[in-house]
Amino acid sequence: MQNLDRGILSVYDYRKKSNSILFFIAVIAIVGMVASMLYPILITVFNGLKSREEVFAFPPTFVPSQWVWENFDKGWHYIDLMQFLRNTLSIFAGNLVATVLILGLAAFSLSKLQIPYRKPIYFFFLSTLFIPPTTYIIPNFVNLRDLGLLNTFWAFWLPAGASAFYLLLLKNFFDGIHNEMFEAARIDGASEWRCFIQIALPLSVPIFSTLAIFVFSNAWNDWFWPNLVLQGDNIPLATAIYKFVINARGLPMNVRFAILTMVMLPPIIVFLVFQKYIMRGLQLGGVKG
Amino acid sequence: MSQPVHASAELAPAARRIAAAAFVRKYFWGILFLLPAVIVFLLFLWMPIVKGFIYSFYHVDFVKGNEFVGWDNYRAVLDNPDVGIAVKNTLYYMFLGLVIGFWVPILFAILISELRRFQGFVRVIAYLPNVLPVIVLYGLWRWFYDPVGPVNAGLTQLGQDQILFMSDPKWSMVSIVIMETWQQFGAGMLIYLAAILSIPRDWYEAAEIDGAGIWQRIRHVTLPSIRGLIGLLFILQLIATSQGLQAQLAMLDGGPNKATLTYALLIVKSAFNQLNYGVAAAMGVLMFLVLGALAVIQYRLSERGERA
Repeated sequence: MQNLDRGILSVYDYRKKSNSILFFIAVIAIVGMVASMLYPILITVFNGLKSREEVFAFPPTFVPSQWVWENFDKGWHYIDLMQFLRNTLSIFAGNLVATVLILGLAAFSLSKLQIPYRKPIYFFFLSTLFIPPTTYIIPNFVNLRDLGLLNTFWAFWLPAGASAFYLLLLKNFFDGIHNEMFEAARIDGASEWRCFIQIALPLSVPIFSTLAIFVFSNAWNDWFWPNLVLQGDNIPLATAIYKFVINARGLPMNVRFAILTMVMLPPIIVFLVFQKYIMRGLQLGGVKG
Repeated sequence: MSQPVHASAELAPAARRIAAAAFVRKYFWGILFLLPAVIVFLLFLWMPIVKGFIYSFYHVDFVKGNEFVGWDNYRAVLDNPDVGIAVKNTLYYMFLGLVIGFWVPILFAILISELRRFQGFVRVIAYLPNVLPVIVLYGLWRWFYDPVGPVNAGLTQLGQDQILFMSDPKWSMVSIVIMETWQQFGAGMLIYLAAILSIPRDWYEAAEIDGAGIWQRIRHVTLPSIRGLIGLLFILQLIATSQGLQAQLAMLDGGPNKATLTYALLIVKSAFNQLNYGVAAAMGVLMFLVLGALAVIQYRLSERGERA
């Protein structure tokens, strides 16, 4: 995309002095934007490495004058991060399985199999996209309680299969796979289950990786809903941070930033490594309701 | 192969069995594969949605059981003075989101589309805050907004007065919106950028030959090309901000002096602080009715977008 012949500006525009000043201002704005994106992220890391006094220095410093690595050790032992991390990862793994199995099968069925009452079934699934979740947040909680799922991971795993948006993404992907492939398999005697497991799933690795990243960032980020549904040792990392770090009184600022750094780095690393999938996922999912 | 359906009433039991068997054979796998999804959608989406309407007419009590109270919950909502404050705050929050946040991604998408080098790098950086867990965002920005934090340090060095971003009711909502704009603008920017880059280059060429300046090209070529997208993201932002509560809860718990108490936050507080689940459900229903209108517009826009 870099070497387009022209954009809004053409080669001739650059020759005019007023235009090159304009372009220069635009570049300054972009550089300013990039700096204001990076500064808060870097200062979180650096604050986690400063001494207790330096965090409160006024005016604040940027790079630590003295690198205090113990903060991370203290932060690690301040709460049982491992336990909460395990909870987050369990929620993530279960949600992913539910997404692949429940939504994968349903999307396969909608895309490749014969079903009766197609229109009402579509309506049943897709109209949920247009109902804002906050409007039924309380009955949702009471419903989970009625079902006896409060304070269990099932309260996350099962509803993970109830996402019309992911269903739509999967179905659109399956629509792009040629039917001939499945017909050939059927003639060779494969059941629909084998068609799904051995043909559809392996061909859909790209879309499932994109979904896996969505599911991961959801599981990692969501602090609010787990705070209502889970308690005690079952809460995931983000909720634990909300409860014990954000609202903590006695916790020194530098240790607090060390903990925030540890929570922040995994998703940033995942993002930088899987950039390609994520950027594509954004094109798919950018305009979601 | 299968029997005509309209005749089935007059069919003999044996023939009807054959028809049923044919129906099962034809649709067996399709229905089987749909079944798990149908069940979880019923249990975890449709049940809560329907129960919301039902509970709004009940006093919900986990110990003594639910009791039908007619319109009492709705009356309680309308009598609650906090509801008026919350609605006003929510509208203010939505308004600030548009004034402070909505134009930023459009502007930067246009600027970045003109970059010839480092475009990929800038895109990744602009999106980076989106991957920050919100909980880290809250912890970080609380410190930013602190009276002795870096923002106030900068202001003092410029000879300005301190701003109490969090504890001054005039500033608290603005502070939250600035923080959320910082985090979220990258996602919108990428969407606009993709649309802007797909505008045919010849259009600019033609406009330029016809003597259009840079501003005119942006105004008459770029912006009209992404008009549909702007409309869609406008509605989506309204739908999202009308439900805003997490930042308000985590940063300020609705304070100071209820300045950041949004409607959605009030729903949550009525349920979990005052244990008025019925009243909270009624508030949810009222919100549903208002937002339903917005959702219809969104549906229309996205349909138009697909056809275009």
